[in-house]
Amino acid sequence: MEQIIQTLILGLALGGVFALMGSGLSLVFGVMRIVNLAHPSLIIAGAYATYWAFKLWGIDPLVMLPVAAIILAAIGVLLYKLVFEREARSAKYSEMTVLLTFATAMIVEGALGGMFTNTQRVTSPSYATDAIFIGNIFIPTGQLYAGIVSLLIISALALFLKYSRFGNAIRATTQNREAAELLGVNVNLVCIMSFAIGIGLAGAAGSLVSFVFSFFPAKHWEWVAVLMSLVVLGGMGSILGTVIASFMLCVVAAFVGAYVGATWSTMTFFLALFLILLIRPQGLFGEKPELA
Amino acid sequence: MMSVVSETLTGDAASSVLEARRAHNEKLAAKSDKARAIWFPIALLLLLLALPALQVIGNFNYVLHLVLFTACYVTMASGWNILGGFTGYISLGHNVFFAIGGYFAGMILARYGISTILMAPFAGLLCAAVGYLIGRVTLKTRGPSFIISSLALVMIARILFDHWKFVGGANGVALPANDLSVEWAKLPYYYAFVVLAAFSVWLSYKIKHSKFGLGLRAISKDEIKAESAGIDTRTYKVLAFAISGALVGMAGAIWGEYLTYIRPNIFLIILVSVNMVLMCILGGKGTIAGPVIGAIMIIAFNELFVATLGASEINILATGLLMVIVLLFFPQGIVGTLAKHHKLPRILNWD
Repeated sequence: MEQIIQTLILGLALGGVFALMGSGLSLVFGVMRIVNLAHPSLIIAGAYATYWAFKLWGIDPLVMLPVAAIILAAIGVLLYKLVFEREARSAKYSEMTVLLTFATAMIVEGALGGMFTNTQRVTSPSYATDAIFIGNIFIPTGQLYAGIVSLLIISALALFLKYSRFGNAIRATTQNREAAELLGVNVNLVCIMSFAIGIGLAGAAGSLVSFVFSFFPAKHWEWVAVLMSLVVLGGMGSILGTVIASFMLCVVAAFVGAYVGATWSTMTFFLALFLILLIRPQGLFGEKPELA
Repeated sequence: MMSVVSETLTGDAASSVLEARRAHNEKLAAKSDKARAIWFPIALLLLLLALPALQVIGNFNYVLHLVLFTACYVTMASGWNILGGFTGYISLGHNVFFAIGGYFAGMILARYGISTILMAPFAGLLCAAVGYLIGRVTLKTRGPSFIISSLALVMIARILFDHWKFVGGANGVALPANDLSVEWAKLPYYYAFVVLAAFSVWLSYKIKHSKFGLGLRAISKDEIKAESAGIDTRTYKVLAFAISGALVGMAGAIWGEYLTYIRPNIFLIILVSVNMVLMCILGGKGTIAGPVIGAIMIIAFNELFVATLGASEINILATGLLMVIVLLFFPQGIVGTLAKHHKLPRILNWD
């Protein structure tokens, strides 16, 4: 019984972090129909920004989080302007953007690898290695803080999307691009802003990742399929779906890891991705099978 | 179709229509034959077959290695082209077949000592069977979903091969080297790869000019219309997947013995499948000469980078940059762009 609760807690804590990692991906897909395979590599870029700030000046990762988010958001605007804006009128838009984001991921990986080498890194603020004990059950504080912060950020994002004028414009564009444009929404601005927000979320997630996981430039290939499985299960474009899916899959993966074997826990995500694409391509909360 | 025509039109009328159509087709074929220099690929092949004679006058192992490496990638890129170029299904997971072919033939070599060159066709058959089964499942998805599912396939295969004790897990298996002297040791693999590359180019030509290939191209243009035109799209796609998997698998089979070891991190790294995709896109997706030109350019480019800069990170960065540039500015590739402007030299018109 204790072990079950312990596994559940570890799964939930991890789910919080993955929820933030996936929500940016989901937002970008929802608004622009871009399957951003470069998202995990940008998360790692954010993690490196946080790592060096911590290592050189001792800035706490949680303090660095907004800075990393802003840096990455700026990179996002640049990327959008340079690469994706001109693709918007292409006939094979969605396939082209997948290949483009894939190439972008390689560029980011190569650049990070060239600058910082392939050593495994992790930031180590005091809380990262600490744990709270309740009886025999322990909760790692690093993952707990990361999960709480990530849920706070996602809630803020949800409130912004729900109640602000610009958030409404973003949601309108997600639902129907042409109709939103007809009603006077500046779709191009919405695209730039939501791409910036999405990549900014990657930066924020990077800050959390930097003390939860050890990372190196090529690590993002592992995360691509993991994040895709969350976003696809939640329904591409639905942020709530992504959050729920990440808690579900992380808990399942934690149980698989505890009872079947650690090597099979990542397999959960990949197999889930495979099965969801085949059985229910629209995911849990997707409205129609847009991808299929 | 034909039977319907001959039933509705009677006798002479029907045969005259058919006659006119045949004459028209022959005229078209003659016209496209004139734009083609069939001697060039044949001369190129003969030149490559004669190239090892250089070994008599000196040590040209590096040249042979480069040609062999390029031929390996020509095979793989042509294989990928059948699915990605003709059918329009972009797979980022084709190195799974590279691994399956390599492991199958490699394990047989390690256990029973049968050369992988002899086993390559069987590795191809195995990969075709696996491709058929996987294709039955994954080709239900389309567009970005298919790309994502192909990525998931690589991840699954990587974990499986990393933890499969029988094939040595992440450490892989060492294979015996052949007992030829240094200057002739590369020759069997050299000829195997050159023949394989020639075969795959010939096969893509044959497929492109068959009813099957026409169906595949119809699928890439518009799958729903193709289906309503009576093309069995499901079977066509799956067959294309199986054939392209078989070609990649045959290349993988011989590649393992050439390197004298099989290990997940030579077959199942993302750079292998990216190279296949990039070669086809750079050369020209859906053309016959495209993968060949793309393979030559990418290999030259890689060698240049590794020789001058040495770091594989820079190589990844440069590959990504090149891919972005090609996708943004020449999405039809070299052959496609030249053909669009009617500037394709005759010697490169292999279609």
